[in-house]
Amino acid sequence: MGRAGIRIPLVLWSLAVLYPIIWMFIGSFKSNGEIYANPWGWPESLNMGNFVTAWTEYNIDTSVFNSLIVTVVGALLTLVLAIPTAYAIERLRFRGSQFLFTLYVSAMMIPMVLGWIPLFFLLARFNMLDNIYGLAIVYAVSQLPFTIFVLTSFMSTIPKSLEESAAMDGLSPYGVLLKIITPLSMSGIITVTIMNAIQFWNEYFMALIFLQTEENYTLALAIDFISSEAQYTNAWGTLFASLTIAIVPVIILYAIFQQRIAKGMTEGAIKG
Amino acid sequence: MVQSKKQKYLFLAFCLIPTFIMFSIFTLYPLFSGLYYSFFEWSGSSESKEFIGISNYIQLFNDEIIPMTIIHDYFLVATKVLGIMVLALFFAVALTQLKIKEAPFYRIVFFFPNIMSVVVIGILWTFIYNPSLGLVNSGLQFMGLEDWARPWLGSEDWALPSLVLPSIWAGIGLFMLMLMGGIANVSKSYYEAAEIDGANEWQQFWKVTLPLVWPQIKISILYIVITTLNGSFIIVQIMTGGGPNNSTHVMGSYLYEQAFVQYNFGYGATIGVMILIFSLVTVLILQFIMRRERVEY
Repeated sequence: MGRAGIRIPLVLWSLAVLYPIIWMFIGSFKSNGEIYANPWGWPESLNMGNFVTAWTEYNIDTSVFNSLIVTVVGALLTLVLAIPTAYAIERLRFRGSQFLFTLYVSAMMIPMVLGWIPLFFLLARFNMLDNIYGLAIVYAVSQLPFTIFVLTSFMSTIPKSLEESAAMDGLSPYGVLLKIITPLSMSGIITVTIMNAIQFWNEYFMALIFLQTEENYTLALAIDFISSEAQYTNAWGTLFASLTIAIVPVIILYAIFQQRIAKGMTEGAIKG
Repeated sequence: MVQSKKQKYLFLAFCLIPTFIMFSIFTLYPLFSGLYYSFFEWSGSSESKEFIGISNYIQLFNDEIIPMTIIHDYFLVATKVLGIMVLALFFAVALTQLKIKEAPFYRIVFFFPNIMSVVVIGILWTFIYNPSLGLVNSGLQFMGLEDWARPWLGSEDWALPSLVLPSIWAGIGLFMLMLMGGIANVSKSYYEAAEIDGANEWQQFWKVTLPLVWPQIKISILYIVITTLNGSFIIVQIMTGGGPNNSTHVMGSYLYEQAFVQYNFGYGATIGVMILIFSLVTVLILQFIMRRERVEY
């Protein structure tokens, strides 16, 4: 069978993936007139105007900042909650540990839309509606099942003898967790944190429900807002610029951690 | 090791309880009270909450839009499973079995959309489908197929099928990698044995590769089904908002409209219960259908 024939679909699919993304990048440097006159072509000059407009007139600066806070706070909180639980489930034998693990893991399969209605009123009661820290907490808890799942499987590869000898040397269980287990799981922790961070940076629907005022918008909401504006004002260049702003951090992370992200995601997908 | 029982339990409590409390408040409680809300008529303010028994469920059965949303969801499930699995399997086999030097490049590129935000994907594809500026219509024009050009997302017949393409586009990389992992675990000796028996590449694919990566295929199908039933409404919300004329509403986007646009929170919760039941039953049925003896050679 001809190998050249196999390459054709591979090349075509790469084009199908890359072309729209590159097209979006190019579009972010074009004026609206250029987009209308020639949607496929190159910009006449490297015009940064769209980025300036997005950044200043459409408050992308605020929403980038909000997204950063939600991402960092959410990712850290997930770790603080998930590491001790993963350790206890994986290493400390107690009645019900298997049940607890099953409970957390099965939550990965449950459609959460049903929960979002009560969550809306719960956040309102806690005064955390329209609050990016409230959103960060909801995000953190939503990724707990996945994070616990990945961390337990990672911790199971750490040799038991290490923590035993540390305990012999008089280290308290808290010390073992903090000084032995956490550093030894660092590679798993980094992998799962990158994936959680990408998730939080990209999330759209919970932000749509739980945030209300424009100054609290995350990047996803701000882009959605510009997109609906563009239907009337034709601010396509600005829209492309803000899409570009949204995916550049993800591209950088992906370039650095490409293998980790792919490995983590495929492991996380194996569930059910 | 000197460690009293009490200290041990204290440490266990320290590890488990804060997490479990957070999980209970923000995951378990909302799920169960969602179930509870489905027996109320409620527009959101505390005075308006009224127990109405199973009236919401009766309304659900008489709602003409509900059957449409279910059909739309399963249309998306079927087309996504078919499209993603066929292409992902093809790419996975091509990138592992055939010695292609640039395989790592394809692996990286194909996976990239998996980490893009669904908002970015949705808006990008909305623009690709844009009737006057978009790539699809101008591409058709370029090829001399003007008659095929249409307002894709604005057409009742074409809007839903148009939503499948971005989902496949964004999903293939992940499943390709999962299948590649499965194929990498298949021992080379099976292929050598098959070759000695005179099996050609096509036969090797059907008799060796496919049965031995069946566990990965099964998990991928289940995963696509679950994520589609539980999350397809996001791309719908971004690209069409359920329109035109309800032609793209799925269960989740209809829940959003009922609860957060029309403020029928009780009825929205009822739709949520329906989504829960549909996803659980579908997963159980699929697991029953796809149970297949493990292949051992």
